Formats: sequence, structure tokens, C-alpha cells
Amino acid sequence: MNPYRVLLVALLMFASLVAHATTIEMHVNGLVCAFCAQGIEKKLRKFPATADVVVSLEQRLVAVALKDGQDIPDAELRKALTNAGYTVRTIERSDTPIDAIRSRLGQSKP
Amino acid sequence: MIRFSEILGGALVLIGPVCALSKPIAFANGTTVMLEYGAGTMKEAQIFYAPQYNYSVGGGHVEFDSDVTSGTERITYARLNYLLHRWNLESAQANVFVWGGAGGATGSTFSGTEFAVNAGAQADYETRRVYASLKTDLQKANAFSIRVDTLQLGIAPYEHEYNQIATWFVVQARQYTDDIHHGTEVAALLRLFKGGAWIEAGITNGGKLQAMAMFNF
Repeated sequence: MNPYRVLLVALLMFASLVAHATTIEMHVNGLVCAFCAQGIEKKLRKFPATADVVVSLEQRLVAVALKDGQDIPDAELRKALTNAGYTVRTIERSDTPIDAIRSRLGQSKP
Repeated sequence: MIRFSEILGGALVLIGPVCALSKPIAFANGTTVMLEYGAGTMKEAQIFYAPQYNYSVGGGHVEFDSDVTSGTERITYARLNYLLHRWNLESAQANVFVWGGAGGATGSTFSGTEFAVNAGAQADYETRRVYASLKTDLQKANAFSIRVDTLQLGIAPYEHEYNQIATWFVVQARQYTDDIHHGTEVAALLRLFKGGAWIEAGITNGGKLQAMAMFNF
């Protein structure tokens, strides 16, 4: 198979994934206390593109559900979490609904 | 008799690197209100606002009632808290805070209002199961120089999640200078927090109430 065609298909698949990303999952260092993680949620909810936020201390995970067709640049997310006093390890985007992430984490919807 | 410094030293060895936690600064754009009843010898109320995660400004009022001399001091102060360093580890967080401020003091052993300065530091280390905090706080005027050193060690019976009530069993050891209290005051405390509310209460080795409440919003 033509390698350029393979690359093109891969790029299209990636672009499709990004275009339909509904959730951003971030792994965060220093996330040990609910009392302190409050600041992260408060900061992330201020983004106009944020629909919902889920925090898991067990997984050291912060997930942001995006509003339809909207996004938050990685640099803005890193800045928000750094300014909240935490260290971002990874940022990943997916089309996993936020409620599915809640279920995976064993959390109920507030 | 075991000296307080020996207790602190032993505790530091046990828990390894002791760093600090987020008491005087909760989070950026957050307000913290703290109220403490310290076994009848110290009562303190504080309010701080943090424009950024690494500093907060505000003030407080503290009253000392000596259980040795029956003397009293009341100090109202403005204060700046600064997060000197934070370590964000994969499963732990540690911080070192320092603070300084100034205000006015009245008391039963001197007349009028004296200018008073305040300085202190706090180091703490926290995982979801273990907590340690070491704090020193100095209130100084011409008529007095009161330093309060506080060590807290805590263990959580379970790892709380973000939307759950967190429970901690805490042992606190405290020493005062300037004849506020002789010896080391030890207290067993139960700490509970959820969302932006935190309460902590227990009893000292002298049978007195030690309690603290903190609210972040």
C-alpha cells in the first residue's frame, strides 16, 4: 500500500478524533486532597467551553467535558492548572462522554 | 522528660521529608476563613484572600490567656502569606509557607496599644493516608514575645474521594513560650472535611477542648 495513502488515512482519523473530542482528561501531580483540588475545579469551570468537570483523587485525574463544537487549548489548560498550584503530567482528548468517565471512576453525578 | 525538639526530630525522621500544606492559602482567587479555639490558652480568627495560588493577604485576631500567670494579650494584625515552595509528587504534595505581618496589641501586663509584629512558617506533607504539619508562629511586641510551635501528625482510615467526606485522626503537640502554658500540650483530634468546609476537634492531655474550623470559598 502506498505509504502516503496510509499517512493520509491516519491523519484523517486523527483529525476526526480531535474534531469530535468531547472530553479532555488530564493526569495531575500533587492531587491528594479534595479540600485543595477545589481550586482546580473552580478554575476549569470558568472556561466558557467547559460543560462539566470531574476530579478523581484515586486516579489523579481531572476530566473536562466540552460544550458542543468548543475546545480549550492545551496551553490554557496547563496554565490554569499550574496557576492553581499543580503539575500537569498528560493531556488527552477523547470522545468518551463525561458520564462514562464518572461511571469508570465509580462516581455518581452530583 | 522528653523535650519538644526531640519529639519533633523523631517525627521528622519517621515521616521523611517534611514539607508544607495549604492552610493559609487555599487556591487562587479563593478566600480562607480559619477559627481556632486552642484549649483555653489561645483563640484565633483569620481571613485571607489569595489573588494567586502562591500568596494570600488578610488579617487576624489572636488572644492568649496564660494558664501560668493569668496574663492576657490580644493582637490584631494584617498579614501576608507566601508559598515558598511546593512539591507536586505523583501521590503526595508538600509545601513550605512563610508569613509576616504587623498590628496592634493590648494586654493585661501593659497599658495602651503596642505595635506588634508577626512572623512564622509552616511545612507540611500529605498523601491520601498520611499527613504531617509543622508550624511556628511568633507574635512580638515590646511587652511580650510569644512563639507557638505546633506539630500535627495525621492518619486517614480510608482514602477519600473528591466528593466524599474526608476523615483524619490527628495527634497535635504544641508548645508556647512566654509563660502561656508550661510543658507540651498534646491533643487527640478528629478532622472532617468536605467541599470547602473543614472542622477539627478533640481534647488535650489537660482535658481541654482543642478545635478548629476552616472554610474555603
